[in-house]
Amino acid sequence: MTVSLSTPAATAIPGAAAAVRAEKLTKAIDDKTILKDINLDISAGRYVALLGANGAGKTTLLKILATLVAPSGGVLKLFGQTVRRDSIHIRSRLGLIGHGAMLYRDLSARENLVFFGRLYGVADAPGRAAELLKFVDLAPRANDPVKTFSRGMMQRVSIARALMHNPDLLLADEPFSGLDAPSCRMLEEMLSRLHGQGKTVVLANHEISQSLRLAEQAVVLRKGRVVLDEPASSLDPAAVLAEVSAR
Amino acid sequence: MKRSLQQIALLVAKDLRIEARGKQTVGLVIVLGVLIIVVLGMGLGTGGPGAPMSGFKSTAILWVAYLFGGVLCFEKTMAVERQDDALAGLLVAPLDRGALYIAKLLSNLTLMFVLALVVTPVAILLFRFDLSTHPWGFVIVMALGMTGFAAIGTLFAAAVSSTRLQGGLLALLVFPLSLPVVHASTQMMRKMFEEGEALSGGGLATLLAFDLMFLALSWFVFELVLEP
Amino acid sequence: MSTLRFLTWGYWLLTLALFAATVTMVFTYTPVEETMGVVQKIFYLHLPVAINTFAAAAMVFIASIGYLWERKAWWDDLAAAAGKITALLCAVVLLTGMIWGRSAWGHWWTWSPRLTFSLVLFLLYVVYLMIRPSIESPQRRAMVCAVYGIIAFLDVPLVYLSVKMMPDFHPSSIALAPPMKLTLLAWFLPVTLLAAGLIVTRFTLNCRLRELGERREEEAHQPATEPLGGIA
Repeated sequence: MTVSLSTPAATAIPGAAAAVRAEKLTKAIDDKTILKDINLDISAGRYVALLGANGAGKTTLLKILATLVAPSGGVLKLFGQTVRRDSIHIRSRLGLIGHGAMLYRDLSARENLVFFGRLYGVADAPGRAAELLKFVDLAPRANDPVKTFSRGMMQRVSIARALMHNPDLLLADEPFSGLDAPSCRMLEEMLSRLHGQGKTVVLANHEISQSLRLAEQAVVLRKGRVVLDEPASSLDPAAVLAEVSAR
Repeated sequence: MKRSLQQIALLVAKDLRIEARGKQTVGLVIVLGVLIIVVLGMGLGTGGPGAPMSGFKSTAILWVAYLFGGVLCFEKTMAVERQDDALAGLLVAPLDRGALYIAKLLSNLTLMFVLALVVTPVAILLFRFDLSTHPWGFVIVMALGMTGFAAIGTLFAAAVSSTRLQGGLLALLVFPLSLPVVHASTQMMRKMFEEGEALSGGGLATLLAFDLMFLALSWFVFELVLEP
Repeated sequence: MSTLRFLTWGYWLLTLALFAATVTMVFTYTPVEETMGVVQKIFYLHLPVAINTFAAAAMVFIASIGYLWERKAWWDDLAAAAGKITALLCAVVLLTGMIWGRSAWGHWWTWSPRLTFSLVLFLLYVVYLMIRPSIESPQRRAMVCAVYGIIAFLDVPLVYLSVKMMPDFHPSSIALAPPMKLTLLAWFLPVTLLAAGLIVTRFTLNCRLRELGERREEEAHQPATEPLGGIA
């Protein structure tokens, strides 16, 4: 595929300002602590895997990074700017892929993409949608309602949706869950290609060996704390599993 | 500001387009409304060719249909967002939560307007309501009343949609809170149709106060209510 | 701990004694009102309870705002406690109002502005209690109830405005003789003590129940982590 997916001006240059910088981030709901003193430094253009057992706080951390949930304490800076409640400008540089497809089932793939594109104020939303539908290999099905799609196809539309506004930071929350092997491979390739184009990728995943293969940096959460933050190449899956499941 | 208005228009257009695809909500709500009117008419309608019924009585009968129909509208327009987590897609977008609230409210009001457009004539036909003395007063009072009802309904639909919705929970929340608006509009109708007074400024002010207060409050707390 | 228990007992004994005193006062000291007769005496209970209903509803309102502001669970416990007492007191207002209406107009129910007002208020807070158990997640429940508690309280003046539009056949005010006024004033004391005492009791109970539930939940989660450790 030869479609260019990044306008160079908008893309962060690797080594420039950190894409994500979290200092002593905490999240408590009522009196229960979900995240505690999270320090995180992700430089622009990195591919980071976020690992941890169920309930370790991966999804909450990702939601905080996506500005969906406000932290109870600490400072979060995205692209060097402090995140506040009305961080409209920061939001326009984020893309999120979640468990759910975040699509409207009764609308076609194209309608979904055009809608989200316009919501972000993308100049030529229909053109951009066509471009991305080609990228995720769904151009022939563009006008079918999303509800007729398989889970894998939906996830591909979901990726296209997250890319409509050409975000600099892509957050993915367990995107592989429920996908069959070919769809999985396709998604892996897409994420790697986007990373190759200079995007920062944060991938929350429970598949340890897959994550270590894909990402450059691995962050392990356990009971709401960061217990490991190292380059992925230096890590051994068994050691990471031990960290994930230690008590 | 201009951007927010564009986004609101976009969101409402999206809601209405989805509704137009399925036509589930409007159809369902209209049939329900007509059924309610028929059930009430069986017991309360005037038998035989007698005098028409006072316009004052129309509020009670119409409000029953609007309340139940309205709650279904609120549930449906919010369910669209919860399915496949579409709402998260809106919340990560550079979109003001207040704009999202206004858009949902407008979508709900549009659906309720369609409901009223069918159900009101049916009720007038079946009950032979005499609205001739204050037709516009009737329209204004009902429109203001429905706006207040929808303001609360839209807020609570968002608040309870993420809980596994227990049947009737939304109705239980919204009905009592809307009682002042139902009561105020009924009293205004009584004054107009029973006592032959003009549309009272005090009554209108009460309804407007209700609408504005709940619009403002909902606009403020909508963000809190959406947080997972 | 024992001093607290002592104080609690003292508080309730005092409330009880005050009730006994005011009841005696009503039937021995206070003169019988001429037009209404003995039934008028219910008024000495009715008005203080009504005022306390508003106070309790205001407490729900304040606690709800507190919860939205701070997100601390105890605010929700307080709102729930105050909500329960509001509904209870409002039921008393409604019942005493109905008894009054029965003797004044010969019907248990008339759509008089004041009866309508107390009925709507009663419904608002009964529903507040009904929705609590229907929402499973504690945070969600607290949130929804807080928003409800705020709107319900803001509804009160609106209900008042709208009942003022109704045709009124209620005697707007009864001239009270000085001993009657004194009795009325005296009744505020035990009723307010009772309302406050009930709210505090319920509040501490709610707090304890929540903490118990949380502990039980934690215990339930404990074994779930064990098999994971076993794999490693």
